[in-house]
Amino acid sequence: MVSSKKAYRELRRYIVIMLCVSAAIPLAFIGGGIYYEYQKSLSAKTEAQLTTIVLQHKGTIELFLQDIRSAMKLVTAMQPRQEISRQPVLEGVFQALQREYDHAFEDLGVIDTRGRHLAYVGPYDLLQRNYGEALWFKEVLEKQVFISDVFLGFRNVPHFIIAIKQGQGEDAWILRATISAAKFGSVVENVRLGNTGEAFIINKDGRFQTRPRMGGNVMEVMQEASSESLDLSTFDGVRLRRVEHKDREILRTKTWIKEYQWMLIVQQDVDDAFAELYTTRTRAIVVFVLGALMVAAVAVATTSLLVRKIEKADQEKKLLDEQLIQSQKLASIGELSAGVAHEINNPLAVIGEEAGWLQDLLKRNIKNAGLADQPEFEDSLREIVVQTGRCREITHKLLSFARKMDSVIKDVPINELIDEVVGMRQREAYLNNVTFEKEYDPDLPAVFSDPSLLRQVMLNIINNAVDALPKGGKVTIRTSPTEAGDSVLIAVSDTGIGIPRENITKIFDPFFTTKPQGKGTGLGLSICHGIIQKLGGAISVDSEVGKGTTFSIKLPLEIKKGAI
Amino acid sequence: MNGPRILIVDDEERYRTTLTKRILERQLDATSVGSGQEALAELKRKLYDVVVLDVKMPGLDGIETLKEIKKTTPNVEVILLTGHASVDSAVDGMRLGAFDYLLKPCELEILLEKINGAFGIKMSRDQRMRQAEIRSLIDRKPS
Repeated sequence: MVSSKKAYRELRRYIVIMLCVSAAIPLAFIGGGIYYEYQKSLSAKTEAQLTTIVLQHKGTIELFLQDIRSAMKLVTAMQPRQEISRQPVLEGVFQALQREYDHAFEDLGVIDTRGRHLAYVGPYDLLQRNYGEALWFKEVLEKQVFISDVFLGFRNVPHFIIAIKQGQGEDAWILRATISAAKFGSVVENVRLGNTGEAFIINKDGRFQTRPRMGGNVMEVMQEASSESLDLSTFDGVRLRRVEHKDREILRTKTWIKEYQWMLIVQQDVDDAFAELYTTRTRAIVVFVLGALMVAAVAVATTSLLVRKIEKADQEKKLLDEQLIQSQKLASIGELSAGVAHEINNPLAVIGEEAGWLQDLLKRNIKNAGLADQPEFEDSLREIVVQTGRCREITHKLLSFARKMDSVIKDVPINELIDEVVGMRQREAYLNNVTFEKEYDPDLPAVFSDPSLLRQVMLNIINNAVDALPKGGKVTIRTSPTEAGDSVLIAVSDTGIGIPRENITKIFDPFFTTKPQGKGTGLGLSICHGIIQKLGGAISVDSEVGKGTTFSIKLPLEIKKGAI
Repeated sequence: MNGPRILIVDDEERYRTTLTKRILERQLDATSVGSGQEALAELKRKLYDVVVLDVKMPGLDGIETLKEIKKTTPNVEVILLTGHASVDSAVDGMRLGAFDYLLKPCELEILLEKINGAFGIKMSRDQRMRQAEIRSLIDRKPS
């Protein structure tokens, strides 16, 4: 039993594992696949978003620069040098530009080719200032137009210079404007993407042209500028990279603007960009774990049910095997006893005849003179004849029992069948001081059933009744038809020890026995139960400890066709 | 002699001789033989009314012997003597024309009752046969 328990446990474990694995693998594949696709689409979406922002802002900034440059070009084209060098004229132009460009202009100056101010409008007194040696001045003389990087200057506000050269040679002059960088800077600085998303502009040297959200100031060199992660080589279009900087993974989009002088960067931490993905992933994992737990629970429950069913089926099979062995045993015992009985009958017949012959001879002798001790002879011979008769009855009973072993469905007179079984136990019962009391219904109808099976049942139940009376007692057997008249009732009661309440439910279970080891197989009542069920009847037990037990059998008058 | 002439057939020698002696003691005519073959020979030799035939015998068994008897001397009544296990063959024997069967060992009085019953049947049949013969003789005369 122990080893089979272990086998069932192993079977259970095996099935549970197989079920879980077979459910978890597709679950993992589906979950993983969906996650992968989602990640791909989210990543594409994020990249597209970054690229769009970059392109938009590139457009805005370049348009802004272009716009101002065009306006200033227009001014230089429209105003001759003499006119513009006059302070009031320049002031008029300044006012007009300020109106048009929403006070983007800090100041406006007209400068000759040597770097001296011819006129100046602005909050500072720069008229005396000479730009002759300034880098931007040299460049504008050369290139006609110059737009500087952003710097703080002594005003300490980010601004840049636009200078436009007009005219040739000594008469040439330069219109110089200081433009607040705040105008386009705010456009860039206001870019918000998640928690870490930002946009900023740096120049070729990696100096900030706008204030980055995440630390740093205008004109400061970007920390990354010297590292490889920030590639400052020129290129066209938009570049998107994933770069690592100081434990952070950054998704960075960049593009060159202002003729490769400035770089517009829009970037966001990967963790931040994919935060949505991570929540989804967490959620998916939770769903997966819950699903897996549910699958496991269902697998365990199903398997328990299954294994219990298998265990029960195995037990039933075992019981059937035992029943088969039992009936085979009974059959061979029957065969053996039939053989023995038959063999004994012949010598018994001889003994009977010899005794009879002696009696005949004695009778003959009475007519003559008679013998001494005649009564003794007569008595002795009578006893031989009587005992021979007893032996004959025993062998005949044995033979009839054996002969009826074959399963035949026929009319069975229940009262006679019980008598036959009781007769087999009578002598042993008598030795144990057990008496049988029969309360038969004399008009009990015959039952169309299997007599050998019924005999087996009755023998078992009567044996149990006798066994329950180790110190003697009474076994009462009652038969009666049911009220409906379609069945008969057989009740076997003993005045024995009774069955405790906790055992009464197990009494028909196979292998349940209260008899000492080796005495009972625990199969008797279970087989009875099986047989009675097979015959379409029912068996029940009623017991009271100390008072006795009653087994009741209800048998249909006719068993269903094909039941056996 | 008015009683039945009885032939006892049984392979158990002691049984058949003692049984014969006991029947003779009751003033009845009885002879015994030890096998089916001997019984058939004896029936050819002498007229019998009732044969008591053991079913289980070596050689020609009771049922075979019965068949043979019913073929050659159908007028003889047969009572089968059987161990219980061969009751089925005894029933077969009844179907083959045996008068009755008895379980061994049996009481002599019961056996004699059966023998008398069989003899009565045979007597009345013999009588009817004789009457029929006489009638046929009478009927034949005018023609």
